[in-house]
Amino acid sequence: MADFFTKEWADAARDALTAGPDEQARAAKLQEYWDFFDFLKSIYPASWALGCRDLPGLGSTAYLFVQWGGGAVTDCRIIGPDDPLQATYVLGMDYRDWKALHDGYDAQRTVMYRKIMLEQGDLLEFFKAIYFFVESLAVIGAVPAVYP
Amino acid sequence: MTERKSPTAVLREGPRALSDAQVREIEDSSLEQVLNVDIDDVIEYVHKDLRSLPDFTTLYRKYLKQRWDVYDLDFSQDKIDWQEKMTEEERQSFIAVASGFHHGERQVEIELPVFMIGASEEEKLHIAAQIEDEARHTVFFDRFYREVVGLKGDDIMDILDASFPWVSETFVAPFGLLAYQADELRLHPYDERARVRYGTNYFLWIEGVLALSVMKVTLSYARWRGFLPAYYTGFTATCRDESRHVQGGMRYLQDAVRKDPTMISEIHDTLRTILSVSGVVSRRIYYEPLGWTDDEVRVLFFQQLRRKLNDVGIGLSPDLEELLQKVQPVLAGG
Repeated sequence: MADFFTKEWADAARDALTAGPDEQARAAKLQEYWDFFDFLKSIYPASWALGCRDLPGLGSTAYLFVQWGGGAVTDCRIIGPDDPLQATYVLGMDYRDWKALHDGYDAQRTVMYRKIMLEQGDLLEFFKAIYFFVESLAVIGAVPAVYP
Repeated sequence: MTERKSPTAVLREGPRALSDAQVREIEDSSLEQVLNVDIDDVIEYVHKDLRSLPDFTTLYRKYLKQRWDVYDLDFSQDKIDWQEKMTEEERQSFIAVASGFHHGERQVEIELPVFMIGASEEEKLHIAAQIEDEARHTVFFDRFYREVVGLKGDDIMDILDASFPWVSETFVAPFGLLAYQADELRLHPYDERARVRYGTNYFLWIEGVLALSVMKVTLSYARWRGFLPAYYTGFTATCRDESRHVQGGMRYLQDAVRKDPTMISEIHDTLRTILSVSGVVSRRIYYEPLGWTDDEVRVLFFQQLRRKLNDVGIGLSPDLEELLQKVQPVLAGG
């Protein structure tokens, strides 16, 4: 199993995001919701940089960069604290909240309760795809990993 | 509670005229007397002053007269109604609708303080009162879920956790947006354009459209069936509080647009985002046991939106009209 916030973990996140939510998640919600999700996924052109603050062993912020295009993840990698950071939307979350998400904390409440916050990017544009983002965040959180 | 119209009658009847006596009854009723007030009259009362909106000092003075003690409510009859008179289908429908409010009250309570920073001194008084109102509404739902529904927990968050499974996934659109808009104001509290976008989501959409519609659904059911008297009393008093919030919010938006007409684009941009995600549902809420259909609830949403926009003189751009037409169902026979 990959260590959290490593290249192996980012690769696993890329595959999981491209595959999308599993059957169990899909069965819990209406098909029209997933139709909207799939439509957004098919046209989504943006990138996310999902920060992890206070990453153990690093003590500063690293980012999971995710670039979408053509309904798939075209680039997914870790951006270190000293590397150039450029993404359509930059978001940040504390390590403890990443771990809580992995342990099953709800992705919707992760947004609503300000665990993850938008640091850069157009807020209103970002929320036009909020269901796509929340479901994708849940997918990333569920990627098997060793959290330090 | 003498009048027992069907819950959806108001959709077909349209706006009703309130007499001076009805207005006095709504404005001056004590908490116990609120039980006798018709929820449709209170919702009409929300719109009464939208064409000539009261100033913030007037709204603050109304608050001082109308605030109520959430601990004065006695939920013992509600518990009997819930356990012995309501069907399982009615309970499930009711809780599915009420849970959005349970969480919504908490969200509007905690996201409001930052809006106060950039407000005028008079508006600060009104917002301070509104924060206290929202805190009281949060306690109202906490008590309802503990004492009537029977959820267990040591603190308010425990009860929120317990009711969260009933909250729809699409709840994140307006309330997640509000959280992020509040964070934007935390960083830039005097950014008027950000304040207008925040005000559009909070006061126009969440309070003026979503809240009033959801209130109407559960309250008209309770009145129609003669059930849940403490819920009806507390939540109708809540609706009276919301009338001040909506009037204050519309006053803010109207003033902002009058001062700078280009602010209309911030209102439109915010509505464009909200409407683009509002036509989707993630789970079916069965409103039928409460006397409603899915489409009737959505018609109610869009009636509320149109009335407020019309009353405060905010027009929609052609693309927003088109978006609204796409997501707004047509009420058969309405």
